[in-house]
Amino acid sequence: MSLFESLHISATGMTANRLWLDLIANNVANINSTGTPGDPNNKPYRRQAPVFRQVLRQQLGAAPAAVSPGLGVRVSQLVQDAGEPRLVYDPDHPDAHPETGYVAYPNINILNEMVNMLAATRAYEANVTAFEAAKQMYLSALEMGR
Amino acid sequence: MKLLYDPLSTILARQMDACALRQRVIADNIANANTPGFKKSVVSFQQQLKRALGETGFNMSVSHPRHIAPGQGGLDNLTPQVIKVEGTSMRASENNVDIDQEMVNLAANALLYRLAARVWSDRANLMSYVIKGGR
Repeated sequence: MSLFESLHISATGMTANRLWLDLIANNVANINSTGTPGDPNNKPYRRQAPVFRQVLRQQLGAAPAAVSPGLGVRVSQLVQDAGEPRLVYDPDHPDAHPETGYVAYPNINILNEMVNMLAATRAYEANVTAFEAAKQMYLSALEMGR
Repeated sequence: MKLLYDPLSTILARQMDACALRQRVIADNIANANTPGFKKSVVSFQQQLKRALGETGFNMSVSHPRHIAPGQGGLDNLTPQVIKVEGTSMRASENNVDIDQEMVNLAANALLYRLAARVWSDRANLMSYVIKGGR
């Protein structure tokens, strides 16, 4: 149990949510990154999403029933959206399928990304607030006996 | 004479320990607000404190050296407990963190910590005032 552990816990939350925000920005930026339908060498961009997992404390010799506070959150893996790409008929496009004329666009819903962005921002802010509260507590401890 | 190691100072120190632990637990709950399957934890301290102070239940007196001391004797090994809240869910991902409740607990906990620190400081200042003879 380190001295400024609650600051570290809030920091893990900020890191995870910042990564989520980065992924959302990447998804929105690549909303028009096309590919050729059915061509494994020229796939369209696939939407990425983080998988959040809690970080558990590793304790040797602790009673199994004892609950100890966790150590925050981490992104265990990034998953790619398995959804089918959106097909748009555009025969003049360099990525168009030579026979059908369809171009594969990533299956990204901009509304979905915007909502996720708000959620990530709010979650980040909540962690910042927790961080500030912990900082105020440590500061008031420093003021003891003044 | 126990200058700053009287029961009240011990209680204040234990209260600050409990608040520091609760701060960790709340920070962990907030960090995991979007983690699927996460169950929040809470810190139980006020109940233990009441029991140690003898406000609930009854106090047994120690009339024999081999008796186990109840009540006040428990003040030194007063430990806050972390309890995992299972069985409830806030959303489809089985996560049960209520972010509004966590934010309220966060503010209340920080205030309680500062209150304990302030009371301790005021007592220390009073001691210092007395030691200096009111100067």
